[in-house]
Amino acid sequence: MWKFIVRRIIIMFPQLVLLSMIVFILAQLMPGDVTSSLAMDPNVSPEQQEQIREDLGLNEPWHTQYLNWVGSVVQGDFGHSFTHSVPVSDLIWHRMVNSIWLGVAALIFVYMLALPLGLISGRWNDTIADRLITGYTYIGFAAPLFIFALVMLFIFGFQLGWFPTGGSVDPGLTGWDFFTSKVYHLLLPALSLALIGTVTTVQYLRSEVIETKQKEFISTARAKGVPEPKVYTNHIFRNSLLPIAAVFGYEVTTLIGGSIFVEQIFSYPGMGQLFLESIQVRDFPVVTAIVMLFGVAAILGALLSDIIMSIVDPRIRIK
Amino acid sequence: MEQSQQAETMADPQDMDAGKSPPGWRILLTEVLRDKVALFSLLLVVSIMMIVYLVPLFLSQEEIVRVDLFAIHEPPSSEFWLGTDYGGRDVFGQLIIGTRNSLTVGIGVTAVSGMIGIILGVVAGYFGNTVDNIIMRIVDFFFVLPTLLIVIVFIVIVPQYTVWSFIFIMSMFLWMGIARIIRSKALRERELDYIKASRTLGSSHLKIIFTQLMPNLSSIIIVTMTLNLAANIGIESGLSFLGFGFPEETPSLGTLISYATNPTTLEERWWIWVPASILILVLMLSINNVGQALRRAADAKQRRG
Amino acid sequence: MSLLTVNNLKVHYPIRGGILRRKIDVVRAVDGITMELERGETYGLVGESGSGKSTSGRAIIGLESPTAGEVTFEGQKLNQLKRQDRREYYKDIQMVFQDPYSSLNPKKRVNDIIAEPIRNFEKRTKDDERRRIQELLELVGLSPESMHKYPHEFSGGQKQRLGVARALALQPKLIIADEPVSALDVSVQAQVLNFMKEIQRELDLTYIFISHDLGVVRHMCNRIGIMYNGRFVEEGSAEDVYDNPQHIYTKRLVAAIPDIDPANRKHQTDFRREVKKEYDNKKAEFFDEHGGVFDLKQVSSTHYAALP
Repeated sequence: MWKFIVRRIIIMFPQLVLLSMIVFILAQLMPGDVTSSLAMDPNVSPEQQEQIREDLGLNEPWHTQYLNWVGSVVQGDFGHSFTHSVPVSDLIWHRMVNSIWLGVAALIFVYMLALPLGLISGRWNDTIADRLITGYTYIGFAAPLFIFALVMLFIFGFQLGWFPTGGSVDPGLTGWDFFTSKVYHLLLPALSLALIGTVTTVQYLRSEVIETKQKEFISTARAKGVPEPKVYTNHIFRNSLLPIAAVFGYEVTTLIGGSIFVEQIFSYPGMGQLFLESIQVRDFPVVTAIVMLFGVAAILGALLSDIIMSIVDPRIRIK
Repeated sequence: MEQSQQAETMADPQDMDAGKSPPGWRILLTEVLRDKVALFSLLLVVSIMMIVYLVPLFLSQEEIVRVDLFAIHEPPSSEFWLGTDYGGRDVFGQLIIGTRNSLTVGIGVTAVSGMIGIILGVVAGYFGNTVDNIIMRIVDFFFVLPTLLIVIVFIVIVPQYTVWSFIFIMSMFLWMGIARIIRSKALRERELDYIKASRTLGSSHLKIIFTQLMPNLSSIIIVTMTLNLAANIGIESGLSFLGFGFPEETPSLGTLISYATNPTTLEERWWIWVPASILILVLMLSINNVGQALRRAADAKQRRG
Repeated sequence: MSLLTVNNLKVHYPIRGGILRRKIDVVRAVDGITMELERGETYGLVGESGSGKSTSGRAIIGLESPTAGEVTFEGQKLNQLKRQDRREYYKDIQMVFQDPYSSLNPKKRVNDIIAEPIRNFEKRTKDDERRRIQELLELVGLSPESMHKYPHEFSGGQKQRLGVARALALQPKLIIADEPVSALDVSVQAQVLNFMKEIQRELDLTYIFISHDLGVVRHMCNRIGIMYNGRFVEEGSAEDVYDNPQHIYTKRLVAAIPDIDPANRKHQTDFRREVKKEYDNKKAEFFDEHGGVFDLKQVSSTHYAALP
């Protein structure tokens, strides 16, 4: 297994390099650089400007610039924000923490919903419960997240007033209160993400359970006299859980994309919202950094998913 | 068996002499027409399409998007069926034109990304081995890219931003799913002897791909493209919702819904965002329904051999 | 001059492994076979599944690229040909596939299926093409009207006849039949085999007949090569192989041919048991220390066996 994992990690490096190249090219295509704002400044002569460009390495050939850029990114240095005069990393840091909170909460909800729903509708397929669950996945599959999140905000945030309608925490709290307030602010956005994000996993789990329960080793277990609930807990569920790992990577990418909408709708100060704010004011260093970080997150998610799969399903390793 | 015969008699009458094989879509269509829900969905989609493509011929877009400061945020009335937005623009008219624009982009993206995906999927699946390996690594890579963000960045930095560049940018990052599906089906087909037989009969790779392999991929292509169309309409309206779709003077369903990010609009002016939301939901659900019915039909056809 | 010579043909597949997917070993699917075919004869390639008999057939017709060795057809070395010329030569070699269900494209009508090679190589008018297709259908014993049908409307035996009609369309000299009847019901096997023999006589065809069924091969072939693990263990005329098998492996295969006469059943069972015992005892003698097959040695003018 370690062989598979090592191989998988080796594959990840070209992916990271390619990602960094794409992001670098994107950054090059973006208009303006640090000196653009200086050009407006009458106190800075064109010569001084040129000197600054030279000092910053902006006159180097592209590959040197690329290597310099990669070098600083690896050290966590994404340059300076155009609009806020602070390093990009400072700007991103607490947004990233918020986004990770949101992502983890959403993932927990995804699996909290998917496991019971998938297993119930798989075990008792074609009952009313199954019909309801299937109907939900059907609509959840078709409905765009942003409309769903808006409706959630409208109903639970505004009409019923059960949840806060924006922000990530109430100001001025410390300790335990701070924590509960954070969780409280998280619930609605994370639930909105999860309710839509979970449907693929529910559908997957359902068909997996239905398929497994017709297999011969299940009939054998039944014929041996294993009680029905035990057939499910010991044989069917365990086998059906394996492919869930397969969709994990997919869930991570979906959640990353979805977080942009959800953070925007719930005014949740995470990276997605920062991305939208920054691109609207053309603060490209911030944009570049966020694209890079989301890309790395997605690559790590896919890696994790493959490793989990190789642990639960030995057949993958041989491939 | 009975169904397949029926499907054939449908395809048969004149082209007996032409000796053409029955097109996959015709068999699929007969199957879908049996499915009441799918039939209803299909009719719904077709009538929505007819309305949104025909009615704008009698409406002028300038008229609709002209700012009228004396009619801001008016609730629905006989003059404005669905009220007006913050610029006093008629929501109903925007809804019609917006749906048309969303559909056009959806169809455009489905076609362009479908082309890329089909070509790469077929090439990877048919040739297999190294070619497959290279293409699939590219697909894997694109899959883990944060595509939504990259699309938004492209939309912002592209110099002359038009509907076409919008379609093109979206397609560049949405072809992987179909490539993967087509590839795995093509990979299975390629192991069948009829492909090998064609090789021994002197047909070139290109000829085999087009005349032998493609007809056997037609159902899966139709099913995937239909489901993709629904998804792409959602993505387009999502991007417009975030403000990165059409420019504001070009109405779009997503733009109408984006007004709801203003809490007052969300809470008090339902006529601006609710109809557009419902329309997107109805469109996506119906197209999905048709797609799922097509998929069931294709699966059933496969079982019958 | 013989029609086809195969000289030391090898088809190896790499096994990749390790972290960098390097080639760590090879599967020797076909590991150096040599054979010669005269015009008009039927050569039987016999072996168990995985013995490399199908791969040999596919390598001869160019569906697999050989790792080493050469295939000479009518004096021309096929693997040295340029792409365009290859096409002309391969036109004379055709194949009948094992599975009649998957070897006919389910989306095509019979006339499109049979016309494929004709359209590739011959410029015919529509009427001319139709006449040719009807002629071919009649030749394989199907009605000309069936040209408008789809493959799934035919029975297994009829499908295989379609496969043969398609292979005959270009008037080939050599037909490689890869287990042409093993997917068919026993009741239609004989029909198809007899019909293949008939057209062989009629059209002066040469066959390479690939099969795992020695009974069927005896019915069809003049000369036989027995394959084991990608190599020949024995090669000779039908009489050589059936009546005077030299290699212990061949002996066991021949002993396993079912005998229809129930009176011989007891005798047959005892004989089989005896051969099995001999096989177990002498196995070490007939294979080298890695279980590999020895090189062929001449036994008589027509008969070769892989003896130590």
